[in-house]
Amino acid sequence: MIGRDSRIVIGGVGVAGGFGCGVAALEQALRGGEVRPGRMTLPMPDGPVEIPAFMSDTTPLKDFIPLRTLRRVDHFSRLALLGAHLALADAGLPEAERAGLGVVIASGHGATGITFAFQDSFINDGDICASPTHFANSVHNSAAANISILLGATGPSLTVTQFHLSVPSALLAARQWLLEGRVERVLFGAVDELSRLTGHYWHRQHAHFAGIPSPLHTGAETAVPGEGAAFLLLSRAQDADAPGYCTLDSVTVGRKLPPRPLAPPVGLLVLGADGVPETAARYAAAAAGSRIACYTPLYGSMPPGPAFDIASTALALRSGSVFATPGGSSCDFPATVVPGGTPLGPGPAGILTLDDDDGHALVMLGRIRQPA
Amino acid sequence: MPPVAITGMGCICAAGQNLGDCMTSIFSGARAPAPPVRFKSNHPIRYPVFEVPGFPEDPAMLRTSALGLHAVREALSDAGLDRQTLAPLRVGVCVGTTIGCAMSNETFCRQAHAGANPDMAPIVQIQRSNPAAVIAREFGLSGPCQTVVNACSSGTDAVAVAASWIRSGLCDVAIAGGADELARITYIGFIALMITDDSPCKPFDRNRKGLNLGEGAGMLVLESESVRARRNRKARAFVLGYGSACDAHHLTAPHPDGAGLRRAIAEGFSTAGVSASDLAFVNAHGTGTPENDKVESRVLREMLPGVPYLSTKGYTGHTLGAAGAIEAVFTAACLERGEIPGNAGFSTPDPDLIATPVREVTKVAGTIALSESLAFGGNNAALILGRGETP
Repeated sequence: MIGRDSRIVIGGVGVAGGFGCGVAALEQALRGGEVRPGRMTLPMPDGPVEIPAFMSDTTPLKDFIPLRTLRRVDHFSRLALLGAHLALADAGLPEAERAGLGVVIASGHGATGITFAFQDSFINDGDICASPTHFANSVHNSAAANISILLGATGPSLTVTQFHLSVPSALLAARQWLLEGRVERVLFGAVDELSRLTGHYWHRQHAHFAGIPSPLHTGAETAVPGEGAAFLLLSRAQDADAPGYCTLDSVTVGRKLPPRPLAPPVGLLVLGADGVPETAARYAAAAAGSRIACYTPLYGSMPPGPAFDIASTALALRSGSVFATPGGSSCDFPATVVPGGTPLGPGPAGILTLDDDDGHALVMLGRIRQPA
Repeated sequence: MPPVAITGMGCICAAGQNLGDCMTSIFSGARAPAPPVRFKSNHPIRYPVFEVPGFPEDPAMLRTSALGLHAVREALSDAGLDRQTLAPLRVGVCVGTTIGCAMSNETFCRQAHAGANPDMAPIVQIQRSNPAAVIAREFGLSGPCQTVVNACSSGTDAVAVAASWIRSGLCDVAIAGGADELARITYIGFIALMITDDSPCKPFDRNRKGLNLGEGAGMLVLESESVRARRNRKARAFVLGYGSACDAHHLTAPHPDGAGLRRAIAEGFSTAGVSASDLAFVNAHGTGTPENDKVESRVLREMLPGVPYLSTKGYTGHTLGAAGAIEAVFTAACLERGEIPGNAGFSTPDPDLIATPVREVTKVAGTIALSESLAFGGNNAALILGRGETP
């Protein structure tokens, strides 16, 4: 039975993306307002091609796990493990309390790099030479499995994929687990990698925009692909002042746009717009008349983007004021881009995610009174 | 937890292209695994599989999604629901799969490997074929939409997620289940892991050598009590409880003591408010791999002594993300019939297994059954189903 009086608190945040690694790096990027994309090199028929991309470095994972343990762990799972460990460290959760964790992972594409490598293994040398290790690691829930194994987390585990709505869809499940009392804590994470496959897909399907993305200007594609992991430690709390960043008040996922006006009214609506033209008009329509911000220019376009949006909004709620939208305070549709430093009122903040298939999701976060 | 009514079911697999045909087939003991027809392999051994014969390919979507849609149409018809009835309702979709979301098109990969500019159409097709989204799009559904990718427990987990949506009032109706197609990538992968039998699979048998892959879909319509009362619709079965737990042990091998499976069953019992003595039977995971069957039979013997059990994978093959859903449908249908089929492929007891499955069609007493799934990643899921109100 769902206990409506329980509150869900985001008590830890672990992020790794093109901006760097950890909450401090994200906060620095949010305050600085700009992250320059790096480059990704793709082997193409006419020679290597470089595309702008927000790549993520997993080297800091060695601070949590011995390199020897990681020797068979692919980049996708390393990203997830890094995000998971950062979130747990940020929350200060003792090792002894990890066993009962529920693990919920969102991934739009799964372990595409190792999947491609698995196919290479039998294309090269025949079906009989297919790599069992690559196959085992190519399964979509491999990141969740590696996290559970290396943390010793024996609670329930769930991996969800819904492309650009993977994050809110999986977050709905995490919230249900907590409200039903299945677990006391959920380690929730979103992860996707830029592999040879996804990079190739981007190269062929998108413009090569080399500047800073400006997703609130809908006239042209300004998207830059990204990869990374964003993890949250969620827990139930009876106390309205429980320590943490913010509360997770509601998750709504469905098709067609959410009814307007949003209820309850939000003081800040963070848009997942990422500079891709297919969704730009839908974001403009859904956000019309709202007080908005958008942080995707700091981490790029990727299915885990909404988890970074949640992390960024959680940081804003904790600090009490809005971070400036990177790239300026204007947009080309009728909405108000909230200036950086604007105090956040007592009302919730919303994170809006849309896809190009009529899907929408709205995540509501609330403020926690911070200790004096 | 309050029970959640199942008002419609649909199934397609090698045993039949609808639930009625599947039940007739498995109760007759028929099965006919054979080397794959849809694709070729240069592996020197031709491993048998359970393909769905004659199922048309749809260029607009992956076969996985087409199989899922086929089963959904049957389930909705069984529930007496059509687009018009569904339109004003909050209807969610939760589907488990493995291959249905994998960015793994071999043609694309081969072209890229050969230094060509691969045709992007297969990748676009994958992007448009998310099984839950395909169903929501097809029927114009506006509720939550989720595709679970928990490897071989995906179908079981998806049914439980959807039941949770109904219980908490997120949906009036939920379409839940699993779908997976037979694909070269999984065929070659399981052979590489050396857990595939080169003859028809023999779950729980002394001479078992591994699994046979299969394909198909199982779908259930879950309905809130208020909508069901308004429609005056009887339940075919009920979702009574669910539990899941991770072994946290190995990517592809179960925990040797079945630690996660024990916790999953215990949680399932607790949420359903039942105990082992209430069970009429168990539809086991029973893949036919040496390790799975060893661990599972040990847990069944120790936690559920004397409860009859079987694996239906001897009739369907291992349908991966669809398996838990197909087996949930079979479990509900067997509760309706009051009997279970024999465990196909079992003939010689294994002295290392301390429990053995039923060999032939067996009458069962009771109204509650357990369907369980074990998965790569160490996932274990236990679904407790109750007999419905239909005669």
